[in-house]
Amino acid sequence: MIETADAVVIGGGVIGASILYYLAKSNVNACLVERGDIASGTSGRCDGNVMASDSTPGYDSDMAKLGAELFPGLANELDYDVHWSNRGSLIVFENEEEAKVGKEHARKLKERGVPVRLFDQKEVHEDEPYLAPDIVGGMETACDGALDPISLTIGLVMGAKKLGATVCKYTKVTGIDRNGKAGFVVRTDKNDIATPVVINAAGVWTADIGNMVGLDIPIRPRQGQILVAEQTFRVARRKIMEFGYLMAKYSSTAKRNVTPDMEKYGVALVYEPTHVNNFLLGSSRQFVGFDVRSNYRIMRAIAQRGIRFFPVMKDINIIRSYAGVRPFCVDHLPIVSDTQIPGFYIASGHEGNGIGLSLVTGTLISQMICGEKLIIDPTPLSFFRFENQIANVSL
Amino acid sequence: MIDDDVLVCRCEEVTAKEIREAIKLGADSLTAIKRMTRAGMGLCQGRTCQRLVAQILSQETGKRMDEILPDSTRPPVRPVTFGEMCGENDD
Repeated sequence: MIETADAVVIGGGVIGASILYYLAKSNVNACLVERGDIASGTSGRCDGNVMASDSTPGYDSDMAKLGAELFPGLANELDYDVHWSNRGSLIVFENEEEAKVGKEHARKLKERGVPVRLFDQKEVHEDEPYLAPDIVGGMETACDGALDPISLTIGLVMGAKKLGATVCKYTKVTGIDRNGKAGFVVRTDKNDIATPVVINAAGVWTADIGNMVGLDIPIRPRQGQILVAEQTFRVARRKIMEFGYLMAKYSSTAKRNVTPDMEKYGVALVYEPTHVNNFLLGSSRQFVGFDVRSNYRIMRAIAQRGIRFFPVMKDINIIRSYAGVRPFCVDHLPIVSDTQIPGFYIASGHEGNGIGLSLVTGTLISQMICGEKLIIDPTPLSFFRFENQIANVSL
Repeated sequence: MIDDDVLVCRCEEVTAKEIREAIKLGADSLTAIKRMTRAGMGLCQGRTCQRLVAQILSQETGKRMDEILPDSTRPPVRPVTFGEMCGENDD
């Protein structure tokens, strides 16, 4: 049996959910196809960052700031609690060298309109008393926030359904036929769906879906691991990140004083208090295909890094660890774009920024499809920047 | 039949009623119920409540108990402190 839809969204993670929601709001009869359950991949194995402070000043930070600004309205709009909180964030400097580079980062962000404020050693400890005494300062960013990524994804899908969208869970896309001028037939292991518009929001599986229409999309899985603490007192009241996490972007000579494992697995402090009074502690980065098993050496390195910044963590329990694979794009920018194939769109490659950029991405794709005025210039996100990578497309 | 007001997941304080509501909204596995209600996400990681949640899912959907897959387990098997996790550097 062939069904029809105005648009088919492939992927039930936060990006697909957001696209579905904004399409439904624009009265597009959209259908989401997800091979597992909603938020069962990357969006269920991440943290709830909505941050402009860790982005590169410029287009990156403009998009991140805009992305963050859309959350309060969305949280009010949905019937489902996404646990949005806007407590800001603090990026801490481990030594004077980091502080020097950090001040430059803060100045450039401020120029782009990101509301940042620098703290000296005394101020940073007044702000977060449990920080290790030798931390020399920090940068506060007021517009940053956090939420529960699983609730966000489920909330967007439920909101879209209420507006008339269709959701097919446990439905695997097996092929995409190009159907002359009419568009596509999306083949699945259940029904086939005829549609003029397909949006590839398959996250770490984006390249597989791209292959079905002859597009070579440079996105692959990159694993990150997180520790979950027990419910306890507030170690810190808001998002804390070490500036060393960003140093590589700004200085090729900068070296952190870290263990070989921390170096090897890219381990850096990312602390996130949750709405249920526990906290998540990351982070790591490694390319291991689709492997989402926990690695003991990484767990240990994350714990060590946590205690380095917050010695008080020493006696708090870890109750779980998890790993997720993030859609890593070869040039670190997501792809939010139309393609050489009319009607075929890509929204993927956000790596660690997918939660924060979910709403701006969903809005952009919906506006592109409906021919509306765009919320931000999408040129830097265009798939056409990889023009030399296109294989066997028959236009 | 478990009464609606029974606290099924004591760690995260989730009642049978909240679990039944999640099932009505489409949660069809222990993992999906966990994602919507947090049942099984707390200190005991579902060791206490998982079977009760599975019973409710079975009653509400008609699935047999042996068709309901257990939720994923992850290290550490028992809670350990961040300090214990660090151990000695064996590099």
